[in-house]
Amino acid sequence: MITVSNLSVRLGGRQVIHGISLEAAPGALTAIVGPNGCGKTTTLKAISGELAPESGSVSINGRNLKGLKPWELALKRGVLPQSTVISFPFTVREVVRLGLTAGANADTKANDRIAADALESVDLGGFAGRFYQELSGGEQQRVQLARVLCQISNPVADGEPRYLLLDEPVSSLDIRHQLTIMQLARRFCEQGGGVIAVMHDLNLTAMFADRMIMMKSGVIRASGAPGDVLTDETMEAVFGCRMQVSAMPAAGVPFVLPQTATL
Amino acid sequence: MPRSEALDRGMRLTAFAADIRAEWRSGNRARLAGVVIVLLVVFAAATFVSSIMTGAADASLSNVVRWLLGTSEADQVLSVRDRIIILDIRLPRAVLGMLVGASLAVSGVVMQGLFRNPLADPGLVGVSSGASLGAVLLIVLGSAVFGPLFALFGFYALPIAAFVGGLVTTLLLYRIATRGGQTSVATLLLAGIALGALTGAFTGVLIFMADDKQLRDVTFWGLGSLAGANWTKIGAAAPIILLSLAVTPFLARGLNAITLGEAAAFHMGIPVQRMKNIAIVSVAAATGASVAVSGGIGFVGIVVPHLLRLVIGPDHRYLIPASALLGGTLLILADMIARTIASPAELPIGIVTAFIGAPFFLWILLRGRTTMGL
Repeated sequence: MITVSNLSVRLGGRQVIHGISLEAAPGALTAIVGPNGCGKTTTLKAISGELAPESGSVSINGRNLKGLKPWELALKRGVLPQSTVISFPFTVREVVRLGLTAGANADTKANDRIAADALESVDLGGFAGRFYQELSGGEQQRVQLARVLCQISNPVADGEPRYLLLDEPVSSLDIRHQLTIMQLARRFCEQGGGVIAVMHDLNLTAMFADRMIMMKSGVIRASGAPGDVLTDETMEAVFGCRMQVSAMPAAGVPFVLPQTATL
Repeated sequence: MPRSEALDRGMRLTAFAADIRAEWRSGNRARLAGVVIVLLVVFAAATFVSSIMTGAADASLSNVVRWLLGTSEADQVLSVRDRIIILDIRLPRAVLGMLVGASLAVSGVVMQGLFRNPLADPGLVGVSSGASLGAVLLIVLGSAVFGPLFALFGFYALPIAAFVGGLVTTLLLYRIATRGGQTSVATLLLAGIALGALTGAFTGVLIFMADDKQLRDVTFWGLGSLAGANWTKIGAAAPIILLSLAVTPFLARGLNAITLGEAAAFHMGIPVQRMKNIAIVSVAAATGASVAVSGGIGFVGIVVPHLLRLVIGPDHRYLIPASALLGGTLLILADMIARTIASPAELPIGIVTAFIGAPFFLWILLRGRTTMGL
């Protein structure tokens, strides 16, 4: 369980997160959504330990982040940033294997297997020998995800659930790979791990998320199952656009069509 | 039998090469890097020996070896003159060349890794100028101001002064060019130019204040040369250089992780701040000690790592030892050129490395503008 309580974060003198609390349970895909600049990424950075909170606390499996060393944290959670620029000519294989930095084991057959599986799972088998810098943005994003999957290769380790923190994991992907990656995140949850993802696409979120957290201006405005969070009222209050939320007849998964919106 | 054995060996070698090619195609350059490092060791040893054997005067190496082994006819085979030429002039010079070259190249690698940019080099971004200022400060203000320092550190005073100068410059540079874990290349290079100019100006003031003897010391020292190599100098610089070089392999994993950004390195479990502190101190120490004993020798720190990255890739676990070897070897070669091209006169080695390094640097810029973040 990742528990955030009363978290406030100040960035460059400006308070951007105002005392939010949330929980992300193992086995569930928790999505954070909201308009640009509402503090989604900042929240994720505080959860990853990258940003120190001004007040409040974050704990992972019952242990406060403050008491954990970087390497201890690295064994509990992996983080996918929005985009990663590399200025050295690393091959895809080398980038993915950087994810193995956290574990201290040297070049072994097992590591090769993990790296190859990770690449395969993001649909990049056969890309190992390519240079990272020569890939498209979407391909680079998937390489980075494979790198994170190398770091957190098992959803559960030593009887404890592990977590993936994903910042817009599908933002530059084509529709097929959006589905691939979201399914991969789902599978990670089904195997006992936890996922917190900052998401942009509300429909994709509604399809895959177990819990949806909607933020605006540094506070949480709604949270719960996608069907409860995604309503006409919250859409207008949070995004400032009046639109109709509909639902797929069979599964009851809500969806929104931009065509119905008035600004 | 010998023929089939040779054939067998040839086939094994071919198979080995094919293995490495296949690995390379699948993005695995680890074994290739190992082979390159072994070749570099051989290349370094060969260069080292030939630099001891060549020079303006003749001196037979085999005689030196026999004298060193202390065989019965020891004293007849080697004249005092040969002994001095080999053991007190050429050998310290080769040793110093190896040390300084390795230190410059590894400082380049570590700094480039730390700043996440292949153009960061202690010579280019003002760290060497800072180290020079420290050294000149000591030479000129010398005993008047730093008397106690001399008394305390003896012949270590000059390398230590250069180290402090380099450290202050590196810290300033880091503070200016890095915001929130991201280094702006433009800011880095421009800040380096400004810091270089500023420390240069301070050095100028000191030279203006200097008396004739100090002026001679500063000028000789600043030409960038291995010509003054002797065992005392090596005694002063070697411990500092070897210690900071010995630290760098432990930074390799951290430097690899940090190529993805400081945040990502932290996510992967690297204690980023501690690693950066160690890296900055070791770069400043290695650069400072090198500048103190050999003046300003440019471009080794940028050319060597870049060449090696083209072949074995940017993995610092292999890049650091390979750079140390190639840096030392190339500096000895440059020194051989410097002392033979206008023999019996000598060119300062800084001129040779600049003639080779500067065009190479321009070529890097032409080739890789898009991948350098410029």
